[in-house]
Amino acid sequence: MTVPDRNGAASATSLAAKPKGSAVRAWVADHRRVASDTATFVSQRILRSFLVWLMVGIALTLPGLLWIAQSNLQAFGGQWQGTAGLTVYMNIGAPDSQVSGLASQLQESDAVQRIVLTSPEEALNQLLAQSDDSEFLRTALAAIETNPLPASFSVVLQADTSFLQLDALSRQVLAMPGVDDVEIQSAWIERLRDLGKLANRIGGGLSVILLVAAVLVTFASVRLAIESKLAELRVLALVGATASQMRRPFFYFGASYGVGGGIMAILLIALFLDQIEAPLQSLLISYQVGVSLAGFTPSFLLTVVLAGWLMGILGALLALSQRLGHLTNHGS
Amino acid sequence: MAFLQFEHVTRRFDNGQEGLSDVSLGIEQGTMAFLTGHSGAGKSTLLKLLIGIESPTSGRVMVDGCDLKQLSAKQMPWYRRQIGIVLQDHNLLPDRTVFENVALPLRLNPISAKDAARRVRGALATVDLSDKGGLLPRHLSTGEQQRVGIARAVVTRPRIILADEPTGNLDPFLSRQVMALFHQFRDLGSTVLVASHDIDLIKDQGCRILHLSQGTLVQDTALPGEGGAE
Repeated sequence: MTVPDRNGAASATSLAAKPKGSAVRAWVADHRRVASDTATFVSQRILRSFLVWLMVGIALTLPGLLWIAQSNLQAFGGQWQGTAGLTVYMNIGAPDSQVSGLASQLQESDAVQRIVLTSPEEALNQLLAQSDDSEFLRTALAAIETNPLPASFSVVLQADTSFLQLDALSRQVLAMPGVDDVEIQSAWIERLRDLGKLANRIGGGLSVILLVAAVLVTFASVRLAIESKLAELRVLALVGATASQMRRPFFYFGASYGVGGGIMAILLIALFLDQIEAPLQSLLISYQVGVSLAGFTPSFLLTVVLAGWLMGILGALLALSQRLGHLTNHGS
Repeated sequence: MAFLQFEHVTRRFDNGQEGLSDVSLGIEQGTMAFLTGHSGAGKSTLLKLLIGIESPTSGRVMVDGCDLKQLSAKQMPWYRRQIGIVLQDHNLLPDRTVFENVALPLRLNPISAKDAARRVRGALATVDLSDKGGLLPRHLSTGEQQRVGIARAVVTRPRIILADEPTGNLDPFLSRQVMALFHQFRDLGSTVLVASHDIDLIKDQGCRILHLSQGTLVQDTALPGEGGAE
């Protein structure tokens, strides 16, 4: 047997002296090695890794969808505010002076932006113009000799008018003399907005639960990885691995599971939006509201991936604090 | 003061039993010594104290003039990098090649891949396994696995080599080969401490023998100047 030349053998005088050489270079080299090991570890267990990505992805999908839903509701609400208002129907045969008097009175209110008056004659002409069989309608109306339609006017309100103000104004107008009925325009949107707020609250709670689930999934996966590498960790502890060097691979595992889960979530969200976009637009068009889905932006995608990364790191931290503390402290 | 120094060291376990009882001894740098004794005599406890896995209940364990208790948890890994550890069960990683197993301690140090490969090849040549680097441990005999463990222990060129029953699984011929390796590392300046209960093997080595019994140092064949108990 031969023995190698010992020139350059360790001769540090300090018992715990750090080895000579560039610490930065060693740090970078260790990160590169760990990244390579992580890629190998994940690819060798690709089915298990895929399932972890899928579970983390599903957990991130609901919060992501809520984010998008909230963005779209805000845009939707903004569009609705410009068309808020009332339609006031007068009694049939109400005198013009009463109609114009009421219009003047409403115009003085701060909440009212403008008023568009429709006389009974104008209403009748509009009805005839919109009717498929206007000749029949004209004959029928001639038979009764009087215009059966009331005067009406649209009250367009200021953009910042709340639903409560709108509701109060409609009650006030309804109580005025000569008024037969008052319709609140787009009230259904306000109800939708209230429902949206409720959904946000419930969704927020569910999101927190699902994000905790994502952390637990990565925690369990990283813990399994630690268990599979215990023998190596024991040897590394004995030959002088620092706590950082022992923990680093598992942070990489956690990050890879989290980022993979984030990418999976993006795919799931894209698939979901693709499925609902056409029917949703069709629904909104029927309400004469033109809204295209917003929020699926590069910054949103980056946020989802970063959230996944954070969940992965948190899961790894949990697993490491639970399983690796003993090894790094005692090395046995 | 000797390079490795035990001063009235007692190690008491949680169940009240004493692994070591008031042991004092010193081992000079660049020497080789054997720890003997029956199972449970305290050999492994003494080695664990030197590795820093365990701490003395009382007394001091000094290495190169430094009390190991003074080392913080952050400093301990740097100290351990100066120790080559050989264990009876080799602790080789079954899914790594011989080359990768020997290279494991070098991953922790700031040396280039080229230099690391050169060192691993040198360590494998030292234990006569140059042609086995690409094999997995399960393809090696027990003696070869033990030599891989030794190569891994010396690849960082440690100042101290601690071996716990390194010949426990080997036949007499291989055992003598392993001992010859330790002599060679001792000759190169390493301080070697080998725990073994194979009296027949170690009595012919011409080295100092420290005999432990029930945690107490009962016999020390130290010659004058070899750092015997004070």
